[in-house]
Amino acid sequence: MTKKIIEMNAEQQMHYINLENVLAVSRGSTERMLKYLFQFQELIPERLNQLKKAKNQDNRTQIRQILHKMSPQLQFFGIQNIIIPIQRLEFEYETMPNQELEVLVTEIISKLEGALIEVTKTIQKYHV
Amino acid sequence: MSNIQLNSISAVIIDDDPFIQELLKDKLNQYFPEIQILGLGNNGREGILKIQQLKPNLVFLDVEMTDMTGFEMLSRLDAITFKTIFITSYKHYAIKAIRFNALDYLLKPFDLEELKNAILRFKKNQKSDNVPIALQNLKSKQASDQILILKTQQGELHIQLKDIISIEGERNYSYINMVNSKKELVSKTLSNLEELLEDKGFFRCHKSYLINKLHITENPNGSTLFLSNGMKIPISRRKKDTFNNWFNNELI
Repeated sequence: MTKKIIEMNAEQQMHYINLENVLAVSRGSTERMLKYLFQFQELIPERLNQLKKAKNQDNRTQIRQILHKMSPQLQFFGIQNIIIPIQRLEFEYETMPNQELEVLVTEIISKLEGALIEVTKTIQKYHV
Repeated sequence: MSNIQLNSISAVIIDDDPFIQELLKDKLNQYFPEIQILGLGNNGREGILKIQQLKPNLVFLDVEMTDMTGFEMLSRLDAITFKTIFITSYKHYAIKAIRFNALDYLLKPFDLEELKNAILRFKKNQKSDNVPIALQNLKSKQASDQILILKTQQGELHIQLKDIISIEGERNYSYINMVNSKKELVSKTLSNLEELLEDKGFFRCHKSYLINKLHITENPNGSTLFLSNGMKIPISRRKKDTFNNWFNNELI
Protein backbone atom coordinates (compact mmCIF):
# COMPACT_ATOMS: atom_id res chain seq x y z
CA MET A 1 0.00 0.00 0.00
CA THR A 2 2.75 2.46 1.02
CA LYS A 3 4.66 1.74 -2.20
CA LYS A 4 1.52 2.37 -4.24
CA ILE A 5 0.91 5.69 -2.47
CA ILE A 6 4.49 6.85 -3.02
CA GLU A 7 4.26 5.82 -6.67
CA MET A 8 0.95 7.56 -7.15
CA ASN A 9 2.08 10.74 -5.43
CA ALA A 10 5.31 10.80 -7.46
CA GLU A 11 3.62 9.97 -10.77
CA GLN A 12 1.15 12.74 -10.32
CA GLN A 13 3.73 15.11 -8.81
CA MET A 14 1.44 15.73 -5.90
CA HIS A 15 2.38 18.53 -3.57
CA TYR A 16 -0.98 19.29 -2.03
CA ILE A 17 -2.81 16.01 -1.56
CA ASN A 18 -1.87 12.63 -0.16
CA LEU A 19 -4.09 9.76 -1.21
CA GLU A 20 -3.18 7.41 1.65
CA ASN A 21 -6.63 7.58 3.27
CA VAL A 22 -8.47 7.42 -0.05
CA LEU A 23 -6.56 4.28 -1.02
CA ALA A 24 -7.06 2.71 2.40
CA VAL A 25 -10.84 3.05 2.28
CA SER A 26 -10.94 2.10 -1.40
CA ARG A 27 -9.22 -1.24 -0.68
CA GLY A 28 -8.09 -1.69 -4.26
CA SER A 29 -11.35 -0.59 -5.87
CA THR A 30 -10.70 2.09 -8.49
CA GLU A 31 -14.42 2.75 -8.58
CA ARG A 32 -14.52 3.58 -4.88
CA MET A 33 -11.37 5.69 -5.15
CA LEU A 34 -12.96 7.66 -7.98
CA LYS A 35 -16.14 8.14 -5.96
CA TYR A 36 -14.15 10.07 -3.32
CA LEU A 37 -12.18 12.00 -5.95
CA PHE A 38 -15.34 12.99 -7.83
CA GLN A 39 -16.97 14.00 -4.57
CA PHE A 40 -13.99 16.25 -3.79
CA GLN A 41 -14.20 17.73 -7.27
CA GLU A 42 -17.93 18.33 -6.80
CA LEU A 43 -18.02 19.68 -3.23
CA ILE A 44 -14.87 21.73 -2.88
CA PRO A 45 -15.33 24.30 -5.72
CA GLU A 46 -18.73 25.28 -4.33
CA ARG A 47 -17.32 25.68 -0.84
CA LEU A 48 -14.29 27.48 -2.23
CA ASN A 49 -16.60 30.01 -3.89
CA GLN A 50 -18.56 30.42 -0.65
CA LEU A 51 -15.28 30.96 1.19
CA LYS A 52 -14.10 33.61 -1.28
CA LYS A 53 -17.44 35.38 -1.01
CA ALA A 54 -17.38 35.27 2.79
CA LYS A 55 -13.80 36.60 2.77
CA ASN A 56 -14.77 39.51 0.50
CA GLN A 57 -17.73 40.33 2.71
CA ASP A 58 -15.61 39.90 5.86
CA ASN A 59 -18.28 37.51 7.14
CA ARG A 60 -16.33 35.76 9.86
CA THR A 61 -19.14 33.50 11.03
CA GLN A 62 -19.62 32.25 7.50
CA ILE A 63 -15.87 31.66 7.11
CA ARG A 64 -15.88 29.56 10.26
CA GLN A 65 -18.88 27.53 9.16
CA ILE A 66 -17.49 26.78 5.71
CA LEU A 67 -14.11 25.76 7.06
CA HIS A 68 -15.71 23.66 9.77
CA LYS A 69 -17.72 21.81 7.15
CA MET A 70 -14.75 21.23 4.82
CA SER A 71 -12.20 20.32 7.45
CA PRO A 72 -12.80 16.50 7.68
CA GLN A 73 -12.67 16.07 3.91
CA LEU A 74 -9.43 18.07 3.69
CA GLN A 75 -7.93 16.03 6.50
CA PHE A 76 -8.97 12.86 4.68
CA PHE A 77 -7.23 14.05 1.51
CA GLY A 78 -4.08 14.75 3.50
CA ILE A 79 -3.84 18.36 2.40
CA GLN A 80 -0.56 19.48 3.85
CA ASN A 81 -0.42 22.13 6.55
CA ILE A 82 -4.02 23.20 6.13
CA ILE A 83 -5.60 21.86 9.29
CA ILE A 84 -3.78 24.11 11.75
CA PRO A 85 -4.74 27.37 9.96
CA ILE A 86 -8.31 26.05 9.70
CA GLN A 87 -8.44 25.24 13.39
CA ARG A 88 -7.05 28.66 14.24
CA LEU A 89 -9.71 30.32 12.13
CA GLU A 90 -12.41 28.10 13.64
CA PHE A 91 -11.49 29.08 17.16
CA GLU A 92 -10.20 32.61 16.77
CA TYR A 93 -12.56 33.83 14.07
CA GLU A 94 -14.09 36.48 16.29
CA THR A 95 -10.89 37.96 17.63
CA MET A 96 -8.24 37.45 14.95
CA PRO A 97 -6.89 40.71 13.44
CA ASN A 98 -8.16 41.41 9.90
CA GLN A 99 -4.79 41.21 8.26
CA GLU A 100 -3.95 37.84 9.79
CA LEU A 101 -7.38 36.45 8.92
CA GLU A 102 -6.96 37.54 5.34
CA VAL A 103 -3.52 35.95 5.06
CA LEU A 104 -4.75 32.64 6.48
CA VAL A 105 -7.87 32.48 4.31
CA THR A 106 -5.87 33.38 1.18
CA GLU A 107 -3.36 30.67 2.01
CA ILE A 108 -6.17 28.11 2.47
CA ILE A 109 -7.81 29.13 -0.82
CA SER A 110 -4.52 28.79 -2.67
CA LYS A 111 -3.89 25.29 -1.24
CA LEU A 112 -7.40 24.20 -2.09
CA GLU A 113 -7.02 25.38 -5.67
CA GLY A 114 -3.76 23.42 -5.91
CA ALA A 115 -5.44 20.36 -4.42
CA LEU A 116 -8.30 20.61 -6.90
CA ILE A 117 -5.88 20.59 -9.84
CA GLU A 118 -4.20 17.46 -8.47
CA VAL A 119 -7.50 15.71 -7.86
CA THR A 120 -8.59 16.50 -11.44
CA LYS A 121 -5.32 15.11 -12.81
CA THR A 122 -5.75 11.91 -10.79
CA ILE A 123 -9.31 11.49 -12.07
CA GLN A 124 -8.13 11.96 -15.64
CA LYS A 125 -5.56 9.24 -15.14
CA TYR A 126 -7.84 6.63 -13.59
CA HIS A 127 -11.26 7.38 -15.07
CA VAL A 128 -11.55 5.54 -18.31
CA MET B 1 -28.33 -7.38 24.65
CA SER B 2 -28.88 -10.83 23.09
CA ASN B 3 -26.81 -12.35 20.28
CA ILE B 4 -29.82 -12.18 17.96
CA GLN B 5 -29.91 -8.44 18.41
CA LEU B 6 -26.15 -8.24 17.98
CA ASN B 7 -26.45 -9.93 14.59
CA SER B 8 -28.84 -7.31 13.33
CA ILE B 9 -27.80 -3.82 14.29
CA SER B 10 -29.80 -1.31 12.34
CA ALA B 11 -28.32 2.13 11.93
CA VAL B 12 -29.07 5.52 10.47
CA ILE B 13 -26.44 8.15 9.63
CA ILE B 14 -27.48 11.79 9.99
CA ASP B 15 -25.01 14.36 8.70
CA ASP B 16 -25.36 17.20 6.23
CA ASP B 17 -22.01 16.47 4.59
CA PRO B 18 -22.32 13.86 1.78
CA PHE B 19 -18.62 13.09 2.14
CA ILE B 20 -19.06 12.09 5.78
CA GLN B 21 -22.13 10.00 4.95
CA GLU B 22 -20.24 8.06 2.26
CA LEU B 23 -17.10 7.61 4.31
CA LEU B 24 -18.90 6.31 7.37
CA LYS B 25 -21.13 4.07 5.26
CA ASP B 26 -18.08 2.56 3.51
CA LYS B 27 -16.20 2.00 6.76
CA LEU B 28 -19.21 0.40 8.42
CA ASN B 29 -19.88 -1.83 5.39
CA GLN B 30 -16.25 -2.89 5.21
CA TYR B 31 -15.56 -3.59 8.84
CA PHE B 32 -18.97 -4.20 10.42
CA PRO B 33 -21.10 -6.33 8.11
CA GLU B 34 -23.44 -6.96 11.04
CA ILE B 35 -24.53 -3.32 10.90
CA GLN B 36 -27.29 -2.68 8.43
CA ILE B 37 -27.50 0.95 7.35
CA LEU B 38 -31.18 1.62 6.94
CA GLY B 39 -30.93 5.19 5.74
CA LEU B 40 -29.16 8.52 5.59
CA GLY B 41 -30.42 11.88 6.77
CA ASN B 42 -29.09 15.08 5.20
CA ASN B 43 -30.13 17.40 8.01
CA GLY B 44 -32.00 17.48 11.31
CA ARG B 45 -35.47 17.51 9.77
CA GLU B 46 -34.71 14.52 7.58
CA GLY B 47 -33.08 12.82 10.53
CA ILE B 48 -36.28 13.00 12.55
CA LEU B 49 -38.28 11.50 9.67
CA LYS B 50 -35.76 8.71 9.08
CA ILE B 51 -35.70 7.79 12.75
CA GLN B 52 -39.49 7.74 12.97
CA GLN B 53 -39.88 5.70 9.79
CA LEU B 54 -36.97 3.30 10.10
CA LYS B 55 -36.74 2.83 13.88
CA PRO B 56 -32.99 2.11 14.04
CA ASN B 57 -31.27 0.92 17.21
CA LEU B 58 -28.15 2.99 16.53
CA VAL B 59 -27.91 6.56 15.21
CA PHE B 60 -24.71 8.28 14.09
CA LEU B 61 -25.57 11.93 14.56
CA ASP B 62 -23.71 15.06 13.48
CA VAL B 63 -23.40 17.62 16.25
CA GLU B 64 -23.70 20.70 14.01
CA MET B 65 -26.01 20.63 10.99
CA THR B 66 -27.23 23.50 8.84
CA ASP B 67 -30.80 23.48 10.15
CA MET B 68 -30.26 22.46 13.78
CA THR B 69 -27.80 20.87 16.17
CA GLY B 70 -27.83 17.16 16.92
CA PHE B 71 -29.07 17.90 20.44
CA GLU B 72 -31.94 20.00 19.08
CA MET B 73 -32.90 17.18 16.77
CA LEU B 74 -32.99 14.69 19.63
CA SER B 75 -35.07 17.05 21.77
CA ARG B 76 -37.71 17.19 19.02
CA LEU B 77 -38.31 13.44 19.12
CA ASP B 78 -41.19 12.09 21.21
CA ALA B 79 -39.12 9.17 22.43
CA ILE B 80 -35.51 8.10 22.15
CA THR B 81 -35.49 4.36 21.61
CA PHE B 82 -32.00 4.07 20.14
CA LYS B 83 -28.39 4.66 21.13
CA THR B 84 -26.59 7.68 19.74
CA ILE B 85 -22.98 8.04 18.68
CA PHE B 86 -22.29 11.72 18.04
CA ILE B 87 -19.98 12.62 15.18
CA THR B 88 -18.05 15.83 15.27
CA SER B 89 -14.96 17.65 14.11
CA TYR B 90 -11.80 17.99 16.10
CA LYS B 91 -12.11 20.27 19.15
CA HIS B 92 -15.65 21.34 18.40
CA TYR B 93 -17.14 23.31 21.28
CA ALA B 94 -19.81 20.63 21.69
CA ILE B 95 -17.21 18.08 22.78
CA LYS B 96 -17.30 19.65 26.22
CA ALA B 97 -21.05 19.05 26.47
CA ILE B 98 -20.57 15.52 25.17
CA ARG B 99 -17.92 14.77 27.81
CA PHE B 100 -19.90 16.44 30.59
CA ASN B 101 -22.74 14.04 29.86
CA ALA B 102 -20.48 11.02 29.23
CA LEU B 103 -21.94 10.52 25.75
CA ASP B 104 -20.27 8.51 23.02
CA TYR B 105 -18.68 10.32 20.09
CA LEU B 106 -16.39 9.92 17.12
CA LEU B 107 -14.12 12.46 15.52
CA LYS B 108 -14.38 13.02 11.78
CA PRO B 109 -12.95 11.68 9.46
CA PHE B 110 -13.11 8.53 11.66
CA ASP B 111 -10.09 6.66 12.91
CA LEU B 112 -10.77 2.97 12.40
CA GLU B 113 -9.69 1.97 15.92
CA GLU B 114 -11.97 4.60 17.47
CA LEU B 115 -14.84 3.40 15.30
CA LYS B 116 -14.20 -0.21 16.35
CA ASN B 117 -14.16 0.79 20.02
CA ALA B 118 -17.39 2.78 19.71
CA ILE B 119 -19.16 -0.15 18.04
CA LEU B 120 -17.77 -2.51 20.66
CA ARG B 121 -19.11 -0.27 23.45
CA PHE B 122 -22.47 -0.18 21.71
CA LYS B 123 -22.52 -4.00 21.43
CA LYS B 124 -21.53 -4.46 25.04
CA ASN B 125 -24.05 -1.82 25.98
CA GLN B 126 -21.31 -0.19 28.03
CA LYS B 127 -22.41 3.34 27.36
CA SER B 128 -25.60 3.86 29.22
CA ASP B 129 -28.06 6.12 27.53
CA ASN B 130 -27.45 9.54 28.95
CA VAL B 131 -29.11 11.47 26.15
CA PRO B 132 -32.25 12.36 28.17
CA ILE B 133 -30.05 13.75 30.97
CA ALA B 134 -27.94 15.65 28.43
CA LEU B 135 -31.08 17.23 26.95
CA GLN B 136 -32.28 18.17 30.41
CA ASN B 137 -28.87 19.69 31.19
CA LEU B 138 -28.96 21.75 28.02
CA LYS B 139 -32.37 23.10 29.01
CA SER B 140 -31.29 24.00 32.58
CA LYS B 141 -31.15 27.73 33.11
CA GLN B 142 -28.95 27.39 36.19
CA ALA B 143 -25.65 25.57 35.78
CA SER B 144 -25.98 24.38 39.38
CA ASP B 145 -29.04 22.32 38.38
CA GLN B 146 -27.12 20.39 35.75
CA ILE B 147 -26.14 16.79 36.31
CA LEU B 148 -22.54 15.74 35.80
CA ILE B 149 -22.06 12.13 34.70
CA LEU B 150 -18.82 10.44 35.65
CA LYS B 151 -17.46 6.92 35.39
CA THR B 152 -16.59 5.07 38.58
CA GLN B 153 -15.46 1.53 39.26
CA GLN B 154 -19.05 0.67 40.16
CA GLY B 155 -20.55 2.21 37.05
CA GLU B 156 -21.74 5.75 36.59
CA LEU B 157 -22.15 8.56 39.02
CA HIS B 158 -24.81 11.19 38.39
CA ILE B 159 -24.22 14.29 40.49
CA GLN B 160 -26.13 17.53 40.49
CA LEU B 161 -23.57 20.34 40.48
CA LYS B 162 -25.16 22.11 43.45
CA ASP B 163 -24.38 18.97 45.52
CA ILE B 164 -20.64 19.25 44.96
CA ILE B 165 -18.79 21.28 47.59
CA SER B 166 -15.25 20.79 46.35
CA ILE B 167 -13.04 18.41 44.44
CA GLU B 168 -9.58 17.28 45.50
CA GLY B 169 -7.06 16.07 42.94
CA GLU B 170 -4.95 12.99 43.63
CA ARG B 171 -2.77 12.28 40.56
CA ASN B 172 -5.00 10.45 38.04
CA TYR B 173 -7.99 10.43 40.37
CA SER B 174 -10.16 12.97 42.11
CA TYR B 175 -12.24 12.92 45.26
CA ILE B 176 -15.56 14.72 45.11
CA ASN B 177 -16.76 16.11 48.44
CA MET B 178 -20.53 16.10 48.48
CA VAL B 179 -23.14 17.90 50.57
CA ASN B 180 -24.27 14.62 52.13
CA SER B 181 -20.72 14.22 53.54
CA LYS B 182 -19.94 11.46 51.05
CA LYS B 183 -16.62 11.44 49.27
CA GLU B 184 -16.76 9.95 45.76
CA LEU B 185 -13.63 8.70 43.97
CA VAL B 186 -13.59 9.19 40.19
CA SER B 187 -10.96 8.31 37.60
CA LYS B 188 -10.55 11.80 36.19
CA THR B 189 -7.76 14.24 36.88
CA LEU B 190 -8.53 17.55 38.52
CA SER B 191 -7.57 19.25 35.23
CA ASN B 192 -10.14 17.12 33.34
CA LEU B 193 -12.82 18.18 35.82
CA GLU B 194 -11.71 21.80 35.78
CA GLU B 195 -12.16 21.82 32.01
CA LEU B 196 -15.71 20.52 32.38
CA LEU B 197 -16.71 22.76 35.28
CA GLU B 198 -14.83 26.05 34.90
CA ASP B 199 -17.79 27.84 33.31
CA LYS B 200 -20.31 26.34 35.72
CA GLY B 201 -19.44 28.12 38.95
CA PHE B 202 -16.27 26.21 39.81
CA PHE B 203 -12.77 27.58 40.29
CA ARG B 204 -9.36 25.94 40.60
CA CYS B 205 -8.05 27.95 43.56
CA HIS B 206 -5.11 25.65 44.24
CA LYS B 207 -3.28 22.89 42.37
CA SER B 208 -5.14 20.31 44.46
CA TYR B 209 -8.57 21.93 44.79
CA LEU B 210 -11.52 22.87 42.66
CA ILE B 211 -14.27 24.62 44.57
CA ASN B 212 -17.94 25.34 43.99
CA LYS B 213 -18.83 29.01 44.46
CA LEU B 214 -22.21 28.06 45.88
CA HIS B 215 -20.50 26.51 48.90
CA ILE B 216 -18.06 29.27 49.84
CA THR B 217 -19.13 30.54 53.22
CA GLU B 218 -16.19 32.75 54.09
CA ASN B 219 -13.27 34.35 52.34
CA PRO B 220 -11.68 36.16 55.27
CA ASN B 221 -8.24 37.20 54.08
CA GLY B 222 -8.04 36.42 50.38
CA SER B 223 -5.70 33.51 50.92
CA THR B 224 -8.01 31.02 52.63
CA LEU B 225 -11.56 29.91 52.04
CA PHE B 226 -14.12 28.23 54.23
CA LEU B 227 -16.67 25.94 52.66
CA SER B 228 -20.14 24.89 53.77
CA ASN B 229 -18.86 21.57 55.14
CA GLY B 230 -16.33 23.39 57.34
CA MET B 231 -13.35 22.63 55.08
CA LYS B 232 -10.58 25.21 55.01
CA ILE B 233 -9.03 25.55 51.54
CA PRO B 234 -5.92 27.52 50.58
CA ILE B 235 -5.83 29.89 47.61
CA SER B 236 -2.57 29.82 45.64
CA ARG B 237 -0.69 33.09 45.74
CA ARG B 238 -0.65 33.30 41.93
CA LYS B 239 -4.40 32.62 41.75
CA LYS B 240 -5.37 35.33 44.25
CA ASP B 241 -6.25 38.07 41.75
CA THR B 242 -8.08 35.78 39.35
CA PHE B 243 -9.96 34.30 42.28
CA ASN B 244 -11.05 37.71 43.53
CA ASN B 245 -12.29 38.71 40.08
CA TRP B 246 -14.16 35.46 39.69
CA PHE B 247 -15.59 35.55 43.21
CA ASN B 248 -16.82 39.10 42.90
CA ASN B 249 -18.05 39.07 39.31
CA GLU B 250 -19.05 35.77 37.87
CA LEU B 251 -22.69 34.86 37.88
CA ILE B 252 -23.59 31.22 38.19
